[in-house]
Amino acid sequence: MDPMQAIKVTFFQECEEQLGELETGLLAMQEGSVDDETVNAVFRAVHSIKGGAGAFKLDRLVKFAHVFETTLDKIRNGALAPANAVMKTMLRAADVLADLVTVSREGGAFDDTRSNELIAELNAHCDEKAAVKEAHPEEEGDNNPFAALGWEPVSLSLEPEINEYLIVFRPKPELYAKGNETTRLMRELSRLGALTVHCEIADVPLLANFEPEQSYLSWRATLRSHQDIAAVQAVFEFVDGDCHLDIEPVEASEAHAEPVAEVAPEAAPEAVEEPKAAASVPREAAKAEAGGQGNATQNTIRVDLDRVDRLINLVGELVINQAMLTQRVLEAGAVKNASIATGLDDLEHLTREIQESVMAIRAQPVRPLFQRMSRIVREIADATGKNVRLKTEGEGAEVDRTVIERLADPLTHMIRNAVDHGLERPDARIAAGKPAQGEVRLSAAHKSGRVVIEIADDGRGIDRPRVKAIAIKKGLIAPDAQLTDGEIDNLLFMPGFSTAETVSNISGRGVGMDVVKRSIQALGGRIAITSKLGHGSTFSLSLPLTLAVLDGMVVRVADQTLVVPLNSILETMKPKPGEVYGLGPDTQVIGIRGGFTPLIDVGYALGFRTHRADPMSGVTLLIETEGGVRSALMVDAIQDQRQVVIKSLESNYGHVEGIAAATILGDGRIALILDTDAIVHSSSGRNSPSDMLLAG
Amino acid sequence: MPAPRVIELPEYLDMPVAAQLAEAFLKLAGAPVAVDASKVSRLGASCLQVLLAAARSWKVEGHALTLSNASARFLEDLNLLGLEPDTFLTGVIAP
Amino acid sequence: MSMKILTVDDSRTMRDMLRLALTSAGFDVVQAVDGLDGLDVLDRENPELVITDINMPKMDGFGFIEGARKIGRFRVVPILVLTTESDPDKKMRAKKAGATGWIVKPFDPVKLVDVIRRVAA
Repeated sequence: MDPMQAIKVTFFQECEEQLGELETGLLAMQEGSVDDETVNAVFRAVHSIKGGAGAFKLDRLVKFAHVFETTLDKIRNGALAPANAVMKTMLRAADVLADLVTVSREGGAFDDTRSNELIAELNAHCDEKAAVKEAHPEEEGDNNPFAALGWEPVSLSLEPEINEYLIVFRPKPELYAKGNETTRLMRELSRLGALTVHCEIADVPLLANFEPEQSYLSWRATLRSHQDIAAVQAVFEFVDGDCHLDIEPVEASEAHAEPVAEVAPEAAPEAVEEPKAAASVPREAAKAEAGGQGNATQNTIRVDLDRVDRLINLVGELVINQAMLTQRVLEAGAVKNASIATGLDDLEHLTREIQESVMAIRAQPVRPLFQRMSRIVREIADATGKNVRLKTEGEGAEVDRTVIERLADPLTHMIRNAVDHGLERPDARIAAGKPAQGEVRLSAAHKSGRVVIEIADDGRGIDRPRVKAIAIKKGLIAPDAQLTDGEIDNLLFMPGFSTAETVSNISGRGVGMDVVKRSIQALGGRIAITSKLGHGSTFSLSLPLTLAVLDGMVVRVADQTLVVPLNSILETMKPKPGEVYGLGPDTQVIGIRGGFTPLIDVGYALGFRTHRADPMSGVTLLIETEGGVRSALMVDAIQDQRQVVIKSLESNYGHVEGIAAATILGDGRIALILDTDAIVHSSSGRNSPSDMLLAG
Repeated sequence: MPAPRVIELPEYLDMPVAAQLAEAFLKLAGAPVAVDASKVSRLGASCLQVLLAAARSWKVEGHALTLSNASARFLEDLNLLGLEPDTFLTGVIAP
Repeated sequence: MSMKILTVDDSRTMRDMLRLALTSAGFDVVQAVDGLDGLDVLDRENPELVITDINMPKMDGFGFIEGARKIGRFRVVPILVLTTESDPDKKMRAKKAGATGWIVKPFDPVKLVDVIRRVAA
C-alpha cells in the first residue's frame, strides 16, 4: 500500500477513537464536569481530526472541524459558558462530525444543509458571548489550513532589481538557550544573496571574567538580495524577542565598503545528511516503533485479522492434539509413569493458557460500541420528546471483535426500544412520582466466562396483561394458555409480536425483538428479560467471549457423541407415557404445557439408526431455533456440559447436513456439534409452526 | 622554548561545550597553546566567544596562541560569523 | 550517520506522517506519544532534534519543552513546535518554554525538512 494511503487508514481509525473521546467528554461536560482535563480532551479530539483532515485535504471535514474547534476553544478559555443549550449543539455537532468522517472515508453523498445548520448554530453561540470577551482575531492560516501548506516559497522577483539590507543583530543569551544559533542564521541569510558580515568582538572579556552563558558578540551584516524584506525577516522568525534586531533597507547607491569577510551565496541548500537508501526505511520504521516503548498506545502492533484467525485455528488443533495425545498415553498404560503424567498435565495446562491468550488477541473493549449508543439515545429522545440520560458501566469489558461488530444492530434496537417503549414521557413520569428524566443503563460485566450486557430502563415496565392480550389477539398463544410471568415476558421475542399499537418508525420498521433474539443466538448468546411494573425492565444478554469455543451439552445418540449448543436449549425433560403422540407415519409431537411440539429423533434424523427409538427410553431437549420455532430433540442420554473448541468441518469435509462443526473432547473422542436449526428444518417438512398452533 | 600544549577542538562547537572549552583553556593558562581545529565540523557563536576570550587572554599574558589545521567547516562557519583566521587571533586586542 | 529526530505527538496519524516525511528525507526517527513519554524517550534515545505537538494529554508541549531544557544535554537541542494553531500567543508561550522554532500543520514535507535544516544545520 502507498504509505500515505496507509496513514490515511490510520487517520480514520484514529478519527473513530477521537470521536469516542469527543462523545465521552461532551457527555461528561453536559453532566457538569467542566474541568480543564475534560474540556481539553474534547478540544484535542476535534483538533486532531482537523489536523489530519487538513493533511489529506478533506476540505469539508476541515471546515466543519474548524468551526467546531473555535467554539470549543471559547469554552476552553472561558469566553463561552457550557450551558445546556450550548452542550446540546456540541453533541449534535459531534454527530455531524462523525458523519463527515464517515463520508470522507467511504465517499458518498453528504447533505451540506445539516453541517451548515450546525455551523450557523455554533457561530451563533460564539457570537452571543462575543461581548463578554473579545475573541482574538484569527490568523489567516487558521481559517484556511491549506494556506499553511504552501509556506509561500520565497518568491523570486523576475526583475533584476537588487535590494540591499543592513542587519544589526545582537543575540540575548536566551537565543542560545533555546537552541538557536547565530551561525545558522547567518547561513540562512547567505542563501538569500551576497552576504557581508562584520562581527563586533569588543565586548568579549578575558577568560578569567568569562561567563559561558553570556552573549558578548554582536553582528552587522549587509545582504544584497533579490528578496524582499519579509524574506529577510523570516530568517529571524524564531529568534524574535531573543535578540536585538534591526533590519533596514539601504539605498543601492550607499553600498557599503567595509566588508570584513564576503560570504558567497550557496548554490543550493545542502541536505543535512546524505539521504538514506530506500531499503533501510523499514528498519527505520521498526526502530521508530521501538522508540516509544513504555507507553500503552505505542505498545501495540497492527496485525492482519487473517493471521490471528489462522493462529486461533492452529491453537484449536493443538488443543485437540493434546487431548488425543493424553488419550493415547492413557490407552498405552504409560500414565503409571509419574513423570509422564506430570508432563501431560503440564502440557494440558500450557495448552489451555496458550488458547486463552490467543483468544484474547481478538478481544476488544466494548467502549466504542457503548459510545455509539449515546448518539442513538440522543436521536430517539429528540424524536420521541423524552428526556433521557444514558448511563454506561463496564465499558472496559472485552469481547471478541466479531461479537462486538454483530452486537451493534441488536443493541441499537434494544436501546431504541428502551427509550421508545420502556420510558414514559416526562409528564407521565412526574405523575408517577419519578424524575422527569428517564434513565437507560447500559452495562457490561464478565460473569463466569461470558460477558453479560444489560440494558435497563427505569420506565413503566412490561404490562403483562396487555402483552398476553396482544399475543392472544395475534394468535401467538391459545386464549386459555396459562403462562408464567417469565413466559409472558418472553412473548416479546416471538416473531411478529410488537407491543406498539402502531409500528413506530423509530423502534423499527416491523423489526421486532425476535430479530434481536435471533442475532444474539447466532452469536452463541442468550437473552433474558426481567421487569417490574412501574419500575422498568432489564434486558440481559449473555454472550460468549469468543466464537472459537462453545458451551455445549454433550449427549449420546446411537453410540455417537454429539454436542448440542447450550444457548439453543430451553430445558430438558424425560417424556412421560401419554405425552407423545404420533401424527401420521413420520411425525411425532410431544405435549408440553397444553401445546404440542414436534419431537425429532436426532439419531434417526442424522441417519445413525434406521428406526425411531422409543421416546420413553431417551431424554428430550426442548430447543428454540433462530426462527423462534420450538422443537423437542430426542437423544439417548445426557453426558456432560462443557466448553468445547469449535473445529470447522467444511474445510475438510464440506458441509454436512445437520452438523455445524466438530470438536474433540478431553478424552480424545471426536464429537459432532449439532446444527439445531438445520436438524429442525430438515425434519419439519410436514410440521410447520402454524400446524402446531392448530394442534394446540 | 617548550612545545606548545595542544587543545584539540571537538567536532561540534555548540553552546553546551562552551563552558568546558573555557575551562580547558583556563587549565593551560600561562603557557603557549596550539589550537587544533582539524576535527571541527560546526562552530557556534558561544564557542567562538570562548576562543576569542582565550586569544585575548593569551595575548594579554604574552603567550602564543596559534590555530592549526583548521577544517574547511571551521573556516566556513568562522567566515559566516564575520571573522577570518588571522583577525580572529590577532585582532582581538583591537582598541 | 543520519540525524536522529524525536517526534512527540499524541496523534498516530501525525506521527506516521512525520515519520514518512522524515525517514524519506534520510533522518532517523524515534517517537513519543505525549510530553511525559517524550521526556522518557529523549533520555533514552538522545535525539539531535525534537519536533513536538503542543496539545497533548498527560503533559503538553510546553511542559515537555521546559522539562527537556532542564536536562543538561538537551539544554540547546533544537526543539520545533508542531501545531495548527497560528495563535501568536501559543508560539510565544512555546518560545518562552524554550522552543527553537515552529512548524505549522498541515506541513509540506519539503518545507518541514527546510525548517529542520534551518535550526539544525
